[in-house]
Amino acid sequence: MTQMSNLKKVSNPYIPKLTTIQEIVSENKPVNDLKTFKLVFNNPDDFKEFDYIPGQFAELSYFGAGECPIGIASSPTEEGYLLFTVKRVGVVTTALHNSKEGTAIGIRGPFGNGWPIEDLIGHNVVIIGGGFAFSTLRSLTKYILAKRELFKKLIVIYGARNPNELCYKQDLAEWEKLDDLELHLTIDRPVDGWTKKVGFVPAITKEVAPDSTDAFAIVCGPPIMIKFTIPVLTELGFADERILLSLENRMKCGIGKCGHCCVGEKYVCIDGPVFTQAQLRSLPKEY
Amino acid sequence: MKEKILPKEQLPQILKTLLESYKVFAPIKKNGFYVFGEIETPDEIALNYLNSKIPPKEIFYPRTEVLFTFTKSPQGIDIQEAINPSESRVIFGIRPCDAKSFTLLDKFFSYGKFKDPYYQTRRENTLLIGLACVNPRSTCFCTSINGSPFGEEGLDILFVDLGDKYFVKSLNLKGDELLDQLPGLTPASEKDRFNMTELLKKVLASMTPEIPIENINTKLEQLFDEEVFWDQFSQKCIGCASCTFLCPTCTCFDVVDEETSSSGKRIRLWDTCQFPLFTLHGSGHNPRPTKRQRLRQRVMHKFSYYPKTLDEIGCVGCGRCIIVCPVNQDIREVFKALQET
Amino acid sequence: MEKLEKIMQDTAKHFLQEQKVDLIIGYKQGTIPLRTTPCFVTKPEDISQLVWNVCCDHDLTNFLLQPEYKDKKVGIIVKGCDARALVVCMAEGQIERKMVTIIGMPCPGMIDRKRIESELEPKEILVAEITEDQIHLKGKDFEQTLQKDDYIQASCKSCRYNNPPVCDVLIGGQPIELSFNDDLDEKLAELEAKSPDERWTYFTTLLSDCIRCYACRNACPLCYCKECFVDQTQPQWVGKTTNISDIMFYHMIRAFHVAGRCVECGACTRACPMNIDLRLITRKLQNIVKDRYGFEAGLDPNVPPPMGTHTMEDPQEFITEPE
Repeated sequence: MTQMSNLKKVSNPYIPKLTTIQEIVSENKPVNDLKTFKLVFNNPDDFKEFDYIPGQFAELSYFGAGECPIGIASSPTEEGYLLFTVKRVGVVTTALHNSKEGTAIGIRGPFGNGWPIEDLIGHNVVIIGGGFAFSTLRSLTKYILAKRELFKKLIVIYGARNPNELCYKQDLAEWEKLDDLELHLTIDRPVDGWTKKVGFVPAITKEVAPDSTDAFAIVCGPPIMIKFTIPVLTELGFADERILLSLENRMKCGIGKCGHCCVGEKYVCIDGPVFTQAQLRSLPKEY
Repeated sequence: MKEKILPKEQLPQILKTLLESYKVFAPIKKNGFYVFGEIETPDEIALNYLNSKIPPKEIFYPRTEVLFTFTKSPQGIDIQEAINPSESRVIFGIRPCDAKSFTLLDKFFSYGKFKDPYYQTRRENTLLIGLACVNPRSTCFCTSINGSPFGEEGLDILFVDLGDKYFVKSLNLKGDELLDQLPGLTPASEKDRFNMTELLKKVLASMTPEIPIENINTKLEQLFDEEVFWDQFSQKCIGCASCTFLCPTCTCFDVVDEETSSSGKRIRLWDTCQFPLFTLHGSGHNPRPTKRQRLRQRVMHKFSYYPKTLDEIGCVGCGRCIIVCPVNQDIREVFKALQET
Repeated sequence: MEKLEKIMQDTAKHFLQEQKVDLIIGYKQGTIPLRTTPCFVTKPEDISQLVWNVCCDHDLTNFLLQPEYKDKKVGIIVKGCDARALVVCMAEGQIERKMVTIIGMPCPGMIDRKRIESELEPKEILVAEITEDQIHLKGKDFEQTLQKDDYIQASCKSCRYNNPPVCDVLIGGQPIELSFNDDLDEKLAELEAKSPDERWTYFTTLLSDCIRCYACRNACPLCYCKECFVDQTQPQWVGKTTNISDIMFYHMIRAFHVAGRCVECGACTRACPMNIDLRLITRKLQNIVKDRYGFEAGLDPNVPPPMGTHTMEDPQEFITEPE
């Protein structure tokens, strides 16, 4: 490679930057299929270039196993590291789960559009999440809390199968103490010692009945939860343009070239993953 | 733009000249079919072909290519990017439909915020010398998709076979410059020009009538959910990748890692929306679980989504998908059925 | 064959009218000369679409296993090879005999359109008429007549069961006897006589053009696994690239998976867009099974395949004690 092509100077979007795992936290011991990885860039300049907003994702490389797209769980207001909560499902996520602190992980990104922060500023924000899909909602919540004066009322509804499956337990404990965040935690079925809400997220949303005036609803969770939450929000008066969702589809490249995440004329990786309910209505249900 | 004449017996001389300064890709015959391969001598070329089995896209976008290699050591991981600047190349004898496909691929691989440096690097420094179709297949439908058997889009130079000689036309500055370096060319006369125009008329008249594809986009959207409409085509589909792998405009790929003990590589390879695995989520959910949906995706992507994002139909009408399909799935039948509904 | 075509149509129509079947899977005229395409007829009035000629080369059994026909009563047009594939599926518990009405066609051998097209290129066939023993072809500036017997598909030439061994009705009632000159076993003997290195070269050269489109697998009526080993990721058995090692791995394992099951219908070879001829491999494996177990696939739905069963008498001299 003596002669350099002109294109070589432009950064190659397929080449990961190197990070190192600084900390691994299991979110749901003893099941242990959800772990949060704290990654630190080997080259601090790469972190400066990694200019992201909540709701974006990155492609994580475990070299030798491959890549997988993971939503960014940290907030850009958290300095010096990135957080990714990974569920163990396939080859790459299993390799990640089996790795130890100090392991080199490649990262490409940030990719996707992210939650529309500019639109949310000056409005009430209702965050509704289920299961481990809460990761980019954690990012958004942290972000809003760090810039609290820019936003109005903040309501967070977060559900999981059981208390153990709720991620970010430390954050949740801190948020519970806050006056300017209305937090509703729920689990699917009653469990001894659980004093908070019990019931599926759509039902709890109905019960909490967040005011839709001047508000945006941000929803992220398993398809079944989304399916039943949308009608509740509609009933509460949220316009389709003000219901925001994050899609998941099989992805490979993250940059709109490999074709896997194509839904209609959109690519989830570059046109999403965040879409308004209004946008989704005009797309085929191929996600 | 220059117009020249080349006596056919002079062609080897032209190729020889090209071979002195360029890597030359041209149609060659192999296992009973034609492909574009690198030639080293003029006599390897096989111009007696309708079109190649594998589209020449694989010259810029190979079936399998290494994105980068990596080595693991106690000090960490070292990544070596695997982009090699391309030497000057010529593709000789490419058909106008395939040349047009490159204009689509160029657009696709550079569209949006992210460019594809692998495709772009290979594509740089490549001159395209086309050979007009004087004998289009009955399965060809380029003229229905704004193309022509004598189409010039994407080409630097076009050769037209006038029987005992070629009409040679440069189509841009690069083409002009190259023509100046080639031996044996004489200026084209008015008569040659007339003969070429007449030949084009004759060729066009011989082609299968155009398939009306106006409003195809709207029609496809209207019929998106009509299961019966799609089933009539998809029920015989066996779900292989022939149509997409051998399509000059299909670009989808998979990315995998391969590893030995301390080193490895990240590879990308052709993938297809026709495989169920293409969209399968880790959770087991599959957004396009049926072949009806997958066939629809192929059609929608080329004729509805492509025009919406890139302002062009994602098909050049080469007819390869019709010819290679093991069960004779014929995309023209889809167009016909669309017009009838 | 026109006579048989008429009887076939009448028979199929009768089955539909009597509601003995919900649909007929057969052949109709394709969009290109010398081609037919699978068709699915549910209404008696559409039955005239069905054709029977020497271009009816798809193995329709492949479609029977698709989920949409699972609970349907299907009438299917089969040649000898297709019927054998159906028998294997029945023996392996994939298809219930009572759900299928087998309309058997005595097969005269199908013609090899790929070879004809390839030999004629750059001439393109626009019209083809096929008589008892000739193929008349017309194109833009040519007319040509070929002797049919010279262009019979290789897999038909080496066919040992051109009449369906199992069927509900044999159209025409008369089996056809074939006598083609076939050199498959000769070629196989030549290959067997070669050194391992030479054989390896044969396989790698043969398969090097493979583009991993899986047309061979998908066209094969016996490759019905819901999840093929090549698609499995945990563990991933085989690399996905077109490196020769990955290609070889795919084809060799697939060959082993059809050992003792393959009916040599040639669907894999016909479907291959790259003209890769897999028949020496499949013939070799079937010969081994025949020699060892005296078994030929697809003749009796009540006999389980030798690789899917075992008896105390199975030869096992290849199992050696570790030294």
